[in-house]
Amino acid sequence: MMDPTNSVLGKLLLEEISPVVMVLSTPLAEQACAKSGLNFVEMLSPFSVFSKIDVPVRTASDQPYRLQMFKLRLVYASDIHQQNYEATVERLKQVVSDASEKISDLQSDPPQLEDALQMSASDYPPPWIQTFNKELLRIMSFSEHEAFDHSVACLLVVSSKDERPINKFVDLFNTDQLPSLLNEGAMDPKILKHYLLLHDAQDGALEKATNILTDMRSTFGSNDCKLLCINSSLDGLVEWQNNPWAPYANSPSDRDVGCFLNIDDLNEIKDFMQNLTSKLVIPQMEQKIRILNQQVSATRKGFRNQIKNLWWRKGKEDSPDTSNGPMYTFSSIESQIRVLGDYAFMLRDYELALSNYRLLSTDYKLDKAWKRYAGVQEMMGLSYFMLDQSRKESEYCMESAFNTYLKLGSSGQRNATRCGLWWTEMLKARGQFKEAAGIYFRISSEEPSLHAAVMLEQASYCYLFSNPPMLRKYGFHLVLAGNLYYISDQRQHAIRTYKNALFVYKGNGWNYISDHVHFNIGRWYAFLGIFDVAVKHMHGVLACKHQSLITQDLFLNEFLHATQNLGTTFEVNELQLPVIDMSSLRVIYEDHRTYSSSADIRANESIWQSLEEDLVPSVSTFKSNWLESQPKFSLLNKYNNSSLCVVGEPIKISLEFKNPLQIPISLSGISLIFELSPRSEATEFEDAEVEGDAELSVPPISGDVNVDSQCTLSEVGLVLGGAEIKRVQLDITPKIEGVLKIIGVQWRLSDSVTGYRYFGVDAKKKYKQGARMSRQSPSNYLNFVVIKGLPKLEGCILGIPKKTFAGDLRLVKLELKKQTNSSVKNVKMKISHPRFLIPGNIEDLSADFPRSLEKQTTSEVKDAPDCIMEKSRSHIFSFPEAAALTEGEASFTWPLWFHASLAGTISLYISIYYEMDNGCSELGYRTLRMHYDIEVLPSVEVSLLISPCPSRLQEFLVRMDIVNRTISESFCLHQLSSIGSQWEISSLPGFISICPLEVLLAGQKISCFFKLKDCQKISGYENKHLVASNDVLLSSDGKAEMLIDISQSPVVDFHHFERLNQEAPQGSSTAVDFILFSKAHGSNLHEELETTPKLLSNHVCNCSITTKSPIWWLMDGPRTIMHDFSTFCEVNLTMTIHNCSEAVVSVRIATFDFVSETKQSAETTQSSDSSGCQGGWSDISLVNDIKLSSDPLRNMLKKQSLESSTPPFVWCASSSTRIKLAKGSVMEVPLKICIFSPGTYNLSQYELHWNQESSEGFGAEVSITSSGMVGGHPFYLTVLQP
Amino acid sequence: MATTACFIIVSRNDIPIYEAEVGSAIKKEEAAHQHQFILHAALDIVQDLAWTTSAMFLKAMDRFNDLVVSVYVTAGHTRLMLLHDSRNEDGIKSFFQEVHELYIKILLNPLYLPGSRITSSHFDTKVRALARKYL
Repeated sequence: MMDPTNSVLGKLLLEEISPVVMVLSTPLAEQACAKSGLNFVEMLSPFSVFSKIDVPVRTASDQPYRLQMFKLRLVYASDIHQQNYEATVERLKQVVSDASEKISDLQSDPPQLEDALQMSASDYPPPWIQTFNKELLRIMSFSEHEAFDHSVACLLVVSSKDERPINKFVDLFNTDQLPSLLNEGAMDPKILKHYLLLHDAQDGALEKATNILTDMRSTFGSNDCKLLCINSSLDGLVEWQNNPWAPYANSPSDRDVGCFLNIDDLNEIKDFMQNLTSKLVIPQMEQKIRILNQQVSATRKGFRNQIKNLWWRKGKEDSPDTSNGPMYTFSSIESQIRVLGDYAFMLRDYELALSNYRLLSTDYKLDKAWKRYAGVQEMMGLSYFMLDQSRKESEYCMESAFNTYLKLGSSGQRNATRCGLWWTEMLKARGQFKEAAGIYFRISSEEPSLHAAVMLEQASYCYLFSNPPMLRKYGFHLVLAGNLYYISDQRQHAIRTYKNALFVYKGNGWNYISDHVHFNIGRWYAFLGIFDVAVKHMHGVLACKHQSLITQDLFLNEFLHATQNLGTTFEVNELQLPVIDMSSLRVIYEDHRTYSSSADIRANESIWQSLEEDLVPSVSTFKSNWLESQPKFSLLNKYNNSSLCVVGEPIKISLEFKNPLQIPISLSGISLIFELSPRSEATEFEDAEVEGDAELSVPPISGDVNVDSQCTLSEVGLVLGGAEIKRVQLDITPKIEGVLKIIGVQWRLSDSVTGYRYFGVDAKKKYKQGARMSRQSPSNYLNFVVIKGLPKLEGCILGIPKKTFAGDLRLVKLELKKQTNSSVKNVKMKISHPRFLIPGNIEDLSADFPRSLEKQTTSEVKDAPDCIMEKSRSHIFSFPEAAALTEGEASFTWPLWFHASLAGTISLYISIYYEMDNGCSELGYRTLRMHYDIEVLPSVEVSLLISPCPSRLQEFLVRMDIVNRTISESFCLHQLSSIGSQWEISSLPGFISICPLEVLLAGQKISCFFKLKDCQKISGYENKHLVASNDVLLSSDGKAEMLIDISQSPVVDFHHFERLNQEAPQGSSTAVDFILFSKAHGSNLHEELETTPKLLSNHVCNCSITTKSPIWWLMDGPRTIMHDFSTFCEVNLTMTIHNCSEAVVSVRIATFDFVSETKQSAETTQSSDSSGCQGGWSDISLVNDIKLSSDPLRNMLKKQSLESSTPPFVWCASSSTRIKLAKGSVMEVPLKICIFSPGTYNLSQYELHWNQESSEGFGAEVSITSSGMVGGHPFYLTVLQP
Repeated sequence: MATTACFIIVSRNDIPIYEAEVGSAIKKEEAAHQHQFILHAALDIVQDLAWTTSAMFLKAMDRFNDLVVSVYVTAGHTRLMLLHDSRNEDGIKSFFQEVHELYIKILLNPLYLPGSRITSSHFDTKVRALARKYL
């Protein structure tokens, strides 16, 4: 435990609670002192403090002790009164504002955490706060309820120049001038008087003064009179090393304070004061203590006195109460006890003081003299503290004093403040900083704002010095203090406190707090006219999306106001408004890859690369000649991480700007920051690049003269609404060759603030061109090597729809344009999906589509298709040389055929390659990339079912089902064509109209039937005939609709790709391809489509013939014969069997005559059943089907047998023939019958048993055997007898 | 229902991860930052007090004028702080306990990174409902 007397409070108490000497002086005496620039009290003051007075003191007890440090308070009688509160407040305000000029360094950086923690408690509070505290304490001095301000002695000063000095002395102590305390009787008027004759050495010899002194001595007594000589230095040039009066100088210019006082005067004054203290004041106090102690002991000490006192007080209870209790005069025992206590306190006999205070406190409590009670409690607390006794007691006393004062309302409020200050000092002395802070806070709530602010600031320091430091409380109280400083117009203090608190709130998620702190600091700096710092603080709070609309508006307006006042346009790095999403940064530039539109760049680079694989020369051929190219490429090699760009072609950078606020903000002049060094300086530039990173926080140099000559920059302005995100595209077009570095972006907010943001610092891995993720470092990514201007082709496909129906076939035009005047050559094109888009012939341009597709009346066979097919195979189409763009030619057009063969989304990638004519060093070629997305809606769905015709071997029935899948569109069916010369399609002879409906409405479904003939297998047909009958016209309206020539260029080509894409179904050797042409029905146009497809072609490929048995056969022979039956009538028949399956089929032909029919059929059925069971693999349903199908047959046979018991014919030759048919082979089996009588015979009495062995690809072991039996088709033979 | 009640969840590294004004009083502009200031400063007291007791609920451990701060410290040293002017101690305690349960559910979400801001709207509505029920 520290020594209480050495604590801050101890020293304060010694200073503030010390004996008061009342000074009464004549004007002449004051005049003498004024020569040195001082008044009398000031002159003596430096010598009223004794650090080692060493005076023995004996109070109530018999044990003397020695006083060391002592202080006398010399006060003019006129000053002994309660101070004017307003004046004091003014003075306090002055103290604070003085301090603000002295200490607050507005420009300095806010302190950091370490700085705050390093501050020791001894540095705080700063001196001005100590001064402030003292001033605040002195407000309450000379109050009536306390005795320590009662003057112990009275010093009467008369100058030797005064006339009749003795009378003067008497006059001085008349009641008019005496303080009210004396007059009102609160203070004992019988005080010790000391008479001092002040002699000014300049006014003449000392003799006159000594004469007066002797007179005085005779009048007032020898001990109480003194002579003091001053102003011994006649010339007034005394220079003091350590001027003792310096603190009393009114202004710094008064250097000559005490200039007439020489060392002799000084010593004399010193001696006088020493004498006054030790010989007069202290003995007087001792004596008074002893007298009073005796009185108190006599009247109040002891059991009897206490009882008596109690009874007496009770008796007084009914007397009227005033708020302060009864008035106590100096002669009342209570006042005397108080005086006794205070004197004892001042002489540091704290035991004695305490015992008296205790005695007194009960009395006052009983009397309900609350103010006096609180005062006594306060002193008790202080006595306890000085005695270093029970902490609890002292705190309890202070607490009760504080609370009691507060209860008194306004009259006790200042006392409460003083009491609180004592209390805090006491707690601080004991290291209880946290509690002290609490007390400061309590004081602050009672005081006017300025005082409260100082109190709160002290509270914050207490939190800082508490262990462990309570930094958050520190910050909070500083902010509270700052607020109050601001209210009381102390802005510099406000800024200082807020600034000190900044580090507490740095970088955490307490967003409202940091917004408040930064915004207020900024605002206050703006008030003070320091706009740059204001802006610095304010720009941090701009992006306050959590704040309300009003606050956001306020923040923004204040910020803009501050920046406008700044005069110059302010540049802020990383301005928060708007928020730039660095991950959204996209760089679009064109080197050898050029794009037809910016949307095409989004396509994946790998798609392009694979597309262009065999289009562009490989990298090794890029440098054609090492001798030539090596030096030229040196620059490129050096910046091999950089990208290439071409003079005059813009580099586009797109960024997302986001407005975090709810209020709209306007941005203007959004542009890129760049560095462009001409080629010659490129080497220097590289050196500069190294140090380039360091200067990334430096604002960009705006208004550079070179900018315009070097580059064209696009400037974009926009208004971002509340919480809006906009993507902004910024262009930069270099005008000279060299190395271009794009470093950042800048913009103006509301035309007053320039914000800028550098790329590269925090943007990693985000640079992307197309989708080519770079392996390069990001900083390199925005570096470009600018090379000289090159020709550039621009192209587009005219007439390509965005949305169309499946099957749409149309002619589109590729248009290529050239910007510069140089020529390009070797133009090639590659299309990613030739299924959808193929190049046409130049003649197609002039042709009238779709009429051009129609069959010419003069049927001339074209050979063009083969040629295009040839080209399409590698999918690279070289434009003929004639089409190459030479100088002067601006553009050319080439036809392309588009066919939307699939419903869904088609992504078409077209890449056009071209070479420079003038052989550019860096780039030998360029490619133009085009990308189209086409949405294809389903239109007409076609399915075809081919089944063998039962009556003819090479003929098939075709059933076509057509569904209109659209919602509102209707189509006219136009034509169905089969592909290849082998197939001939025709309508069924029975129908008049093939198609039952002319127009297929939305959602409608129809079926049509056709006959299909396999012409290849039928010998004896002419080719010409075949070609003509490939197509069937479906529309049956009267107009002369022309058939579309399927062997012509686009149709046949697209069909080729369709064939490749539609995979063939397994297990069928014969497959037929069909094309259905339909036309949109003009009346009901689809609203979404910009152009209606004129012609739709649906390709159905690889339609196989569906049958259940793998074989077809046909009985062939004469239908009618004439025979006279003179001999056996033998008829030769031929059975042609065709194996249409993929496997080898063995067929047994069993003929039977009527007799054995039932048996045989039963047997065969059995055998077929058993064989089915044997294999175990065969499909049961298949067997059943056969049974079913054979049942009617058998019935028919039975019927026959019932009709005629004897067969009119017999099968000749072998009754059973077994043959093996290879896959797809045809075999003719001769059959013969012998007829006995004329008539018509049904030659269906035979069966074909087939046995198929299809190996499933894994060798013979896993072979599936299926077998079956088919009954004969009816074959009618008529035999006539002539 | 308390007229003023500001509820805030502070993560173990002293960053607020959830904030809600649950009082019935009309919102004032300056109230938002004032409440944050008080609660932020109260963290200092929590820091001292949390280790002196085994209880999770620290009732009325700090005050500012007539506003009282009650704190509930979870085992993971996440602090649920309530600034209130009502004296309904039992209600506050139940409120804290239920919010603690909600908070644990949030923690159990594998997509929630402990110490990050709680953005779940479900959590928000639940907390507000609890505030209406207990405070």
